[in-house]
This record gives sequence, structure tokens and C-alpha cells, in this order.
Amino acid sequence: MIVRPRLADFKIIGLYCGKIIIGVGLLMVVPLVVSVLFGEWNPAIDFLLGIAVCLVFGLFTEVFCQTTRDLSWSHGLVVAGFSWILATAVGAIPHWLSGHFGSYLDAMFDIMSGYTTTGLYLLQDLDHISNGLNMWRHLLTYAGGQGIIVIALTFLIRGTAGAYKIYVGEGKDERLLPNVIQTARAIWLISLTYLVVGSAALWAVGMNIGQSPFRALFHAVWVFMGSWSTGGFAPQSYNILYYHSLAYEIICAVVFIVGSFNFALHWAVWTGKKSEIRKNIEIISFFITMTVAMLITTAGLAKLGVYPDIASSFRKIFFQVSSAHTTTGFGTIYSRTFVVQWGPLAMLGITLAMAIGASACSTAGGFKGIRMGLIFKSMLQSIRRLISPESAYVVKKWHHITSRVLDDAAVHSAMLIVIFYILTYAVGAIIGVFYGYEPVQALFDSVSAGSNTGLSCGVTSPAMPALLKIVYIVEMWAGRLEFMSLFALGGYIIALFRGR
Amino acid sequence: MAQPRKNLKIALMLCLPLFFASLILRAELPGQVIADQEKPDVQPSSSSVPVEVSSMTLVEEAAKWNGRKVIFTGEAVGEGMVRGLKCWIHINDDVYMWKNIEEGAKLGGYNSGQAIWVDAGLAREITFYGNYLHEGDIVKVTGTFNSVCRDHGGDMDIHADTLEIVRIGHRVEHVINYKRAVLALIMLGLAGILFRARSIARRRRI
Repeated sequence: MIVRPRLADFKIIGLYCGKIIIGVGLLMVVPLVVSVLFGEWNPAIDFLLGIAVCLVFGLFTEVFCQTTRDLSWSHGLVVAGFSWILATAVGAIPHWLSGHFGSYLDAMFDIMSGYTTTGLYLLQDLDHISNGLNMWRHLLTYAGGQGIIVIALTFLIRGTAGAYKIYVGEGKDERLLPNVIQTARAIWLISLTYLVVGSAALWAVGMNIGQSPFRALFHAVWVFMGSWSTGGFAPQSYNILYYHSLAYEIICAVVFIVGSFNFALHWAVWTGKKSEIRKNIEIISFFITMTVAMLITTAGLAKLGVYPDIASSFRKIFFQVSSAHTTTGFGTIYSRTFVVQWGPLAMLGITLAMAIGASACSTAGGFKGIRMGLIFKSMLQSIRRLISPESAYVVKKWHHITSRVLDDAAVHSAMLIVIFYILTYAVGAIIGVFYGYEPVQALFDSVSAGSNTGLSCGVTSPAMPALLKIVYIVEMWAGRLEFMSLFALGGYIIALFRGR
Repeated sequence: MAQPRKNLKIALMLCLPLFFASLILRAELPGQVIADQEKPDVQPSSSSVPVEVSSMTLVEEAAKWNGRKVIFTGEAVGEGMVRGLKCWIHINDDVYMWKNIEEGAKLGGYNSGQAIWVDAGLAREITFYGNYLHEGDIVKVTGTFNSVCRDHGGDMDIHADTLEIVRIGHRVEHVINYKRAVLALIMLGLAGILFRARSIARRRRI
């Protein structure tokens, strides 16, 4: 029997969603300050209005949804799923008011892309936007990488047993510390430390390659945010090609590769367990699949003879493939270059890298290395069972923070999520093909949206059909939250109509 | 009571596919539009005479134009990044090159342009680079197009021999939107009232 949600259920969902929206409003203070610093008065007013709307919405729900009840699992998942939609709707206000978007849907597309660290965008005339708006784009992706719920947990939600349930709903299930609030703070500690170090390195290189100290600083912070969160937004339309610097590319690559690692791994290394780096299943899986994707892409480009020498060939392939595999979406080539110069085989190599993605409980998207590792080990175990005597008991182990025995439940769960990802990619690709795009291109952009990567071969544009924009928004959302919250929200809606 | 609810459910189930079908049928097919679009009709010159070309042509037909002399005109954006005696500049030849969105131009898609490698001395002639506060200088360069530049790690660029300022840029005047500011202040006032109401609601709950 399906139980229809009661008023008390809506109250608890409303209360926590309200808190998260207040968090989004408070985040807008940063771009507001940047706008005021640069004397960009209209963007400053836009952010002030955005803050006001968030506060009114959040406080209104808090006033009318006061409750002492704690969250259940279904509440936590619904809050996670629904608050991302609400945060996208209100976060789009400054974007829409900037005048750089064709519709509110386009503005919401960019916000969802930012929160989910995807990096696809429909913003028009990026090279003339305000510094405040650029700060908002990058802050979104930085905050989204850690998780907007992690922010709310850190600053707005005091320790409740139910807090862990919203945290899990956002696609993270690692407890770095016994308490979920402490875990959220540990995630922020890691991210802020890297922010200082990474931005300083990019700032130094920026000044060395001819940027003024002031511009170099802002570009460094923004590019760091885009790298660390594996987001892929950049302050100029040329993306990372704008800098024409090997050093800049190397720092970006290091930051986005490190950023794509599991926060639990970071915490283990942080607390002295350095051997975890070489033992961890996700790291091993990442380097194997990265090598495979590199080989496929290299074969495609070598066949067409695109690059004249090995050095430039390796530089371009490594950056694009690692950016795709970590689901960052930074590029040092034009979008259409994938189609007109790289060709279908290299594009499939990049698509494979995007589809697999990086680590769980990180800022990255895709299937995740841990699932690829588990499925691969399970295949090996099956083969060993086949060739072993019937009486033999084949045991396979895997290591992620602790060593564990491979069991059917873990493999089943990993396979289920991978199947959902494949279905998501397929739906986007089929709709793209329906609208007349080439299959390889439709698949490329669909996988990019579903895996929260952000590379595009030209399908994503302000002129694309509205339905395809909606499909990509849903893909980004579903991919980032790893489906659980989506199903919980869907279940709640069904229960509203069919429950008793 | 159960019958009307069941009917409502059936109606909803019928309406949803119809709604999506109508959305799909009404939508244009941009993939076909792309296929039907006119291909760039400029051809590279067989001699060393440079040919005026757009960034779209250079990206779409990169191999054909590789190593050719080209003339490229657009708005200088971002900044000049001086590297020794040379400098990197970026020139956009998109729909915003004469007037950008901040000046009231209509929306016309993404930015597009080319990276230019030019003598630092020539780059210093540029007064304004396009950004939120400025419409950049319109610059015309003549140089060699590289689809995959050997000197610059495989980047697509133009090595410019000459640079000419076609139009000097200017500061963009932004008119402050006071109506929006008043609306923001009213909303903030409302938020203040709700903040007080929340405190009261919390106390009552306790």
C-alpha cells in the first residue's frame, strides 16, 4: 500500500528546502560584493534582488513549516532532489536579469549546469559579461562541487540525525568523520585549502604569461573553481585556449585530476594514510580507463594525421581526455574541432572517458571509478569461478579506505546505477538524433550532460530545441544526484495521487 | 467518489503523452537547419594574396585554410598578453563585434573568434579590449592561419604580419535600473518582516 504524504511530511520537506534556499541567497553575497567592487551597479542590483527573493522564499517556508520532527530517509532524498530544482529556479534570477539569456529556461540551464559542475552553457556574449556574473557562475560550480546541501549542513543546519539523509541524497555517502556536520566541514576544509594553493599557483603563472596582477588573480580564482569542482566554466569564451600556456594547462590538469578524487581518499591522505593512493580501487580504475581512452583517441587522431608532432599531439590529447575523464569539460580546442578535425573515433574515445567519469563522493560525475572497478573485478571473479574446480570458493577483494570482500550486493548495486546512467545517456542521444543531429554528435553532448562533463561538439547552443534543453537539464540533475533522490521525488509525486 | 478520481487519472494519463507529442511535433529540427545552412563560400587563394575570412570558415574548414594568408577583422576582447617581443590577442568576429549585449545588441548566439600572435609593438596600438565596461577596438589583421600551430603546442591561431585599427572602442554607458533597485529593497524589507516572524514561530514551537 502506498501511503499518501501528510501535511507534517510537507512541513519537514518545506523547512529544509527553505534553509537550503536561504543558503543559496547568502552565496549571492559574494558576487554582490564583487559587483560593488568593480562599480557594476546593475549586476549588483540583480544580485540584491536575487538575495531578497531567496530570503523571502526561504523564510516564508520556515515560518509556515516549523516542526520538531526529524527527517526520515524518504524526506532526506526528497529534500535533496527538490531543493536542487528550487535552487536552480531562484539561482537563475541574476542570470536572467543580466540580459545575456534568450529565455528563463536558458538561465536555468546554466544554473543547473553550474550546480552539477557540468559546464555546458547557453549564456550569450560571455566575453562582455560583468565580473559579478562571472564570479556567480564560478562560485555556483565551486559550491555545487562540494554540494549545496553540504553548504547548508555546514552553516545552516545544526546536528540532527536526519542531516545525514539529505547528505546521502546529494550523491555522497562517505562519512569522513563520525558526525555528518563534521564531515561536511572537513569537505570544506579540504576544498578551501586547495583553493588557496591552486589559485596562488595559477595567479603566479597568469602574471608570468602577461596578465595584469588584478586580472590574473580573478582569472586564477575562477579557473581554479572551474578545475577543482570539475565544472569547466571559464571566464572567457575561448576557455583554457585563451591562456596559450603549457604551465597553465598543467596546473589546471593537476587540480582537476586531484579534484576528481574521492573526498574520503583526500581525508585518508590528509590524515597520514598515504599508501591509500596506490591501493585505492578508484585510482587504479581511473588510470586504466584513462589509458584506454587515451589510446582510442590517439588512434583516431593518428589515423587522420591531425597533429604534426608527438609533443603537441600528446598535449592536446592528454588535456582533452583527462578533462573528459574527470568530467571537468575544460578545452584547449574549439567545440567544432571535435567534429571537423578529430573525427568519430577520437570523439568516441572522449565520449567513453566522459561516460565513465571519476570518483564517487567527489565533485565528478559519470559511472564512477569505484563501480567500474567493482564490475571489472566481478567479471574476473566469474571467469575464475568458471576455470576453478567446482568445490573451490573464489574470493575477490577490493580496497577503498578499508579492504573488503567482493559481494554480490555491491556488484548488483554498482551495475544498477551504471544501467541508469546508460539509459540516461541513450535518451538524450535518441532525442538529439530525432532533432536531426548526427548520432556521434548527439551521443557526445548527451553523455557530456548526463556525466556532468561539459564538453560540447556544437549540439548544445542557445538555438537548440527547448525540449532538448529540458532533457539535458534533467540529465545533469539525475547524473549529479545519482538517481536515488530523483526516484524518491517521483515516488512522492505518485504517492500524492495514488496513496491512501 | 472513486469513479471521478479514476477518470481524472485516465484523463491525465492521456493528456501527458499528447502534450509531449505536441511539443515534439511543433519543434523545429535544428540539425536539418545546420545541414541545410550555406557552406562558407570563401575559397583560399592559390597565390600569396590574403583573403578576408571569418572565424566560422576557419574552424569549419581548418585543413583547407592551414598555412594560407588571411585577413581577419573583429573586436579585440579580454586583454593583450605580452610574451617577450610578441603578444597574444583575441579577436571576435561574431554578431557582437560592432555592438555588444551590454550596449543593447540583440542576442545572437555564442562569441566566436580567433587567437592572434602578433608583435607586441603592434598590439600596443589597441586602446580598448572588449569586456563588460568596454566595447573593444575593431582590429584588422593580416597573417598566416595555422589550424594546428607547430610553435604553440597545436593551438589554432593566426600569426599576424600587420595590424590595423578599424575603429577605436569606447566605454559602455550603463543606465542604472532604479525600478529594479526599489523592487529589491521592498523584497528585502519583506524578508526582514519574515525573519522576525520566523523568530516568533521558533519560540512558539519550543
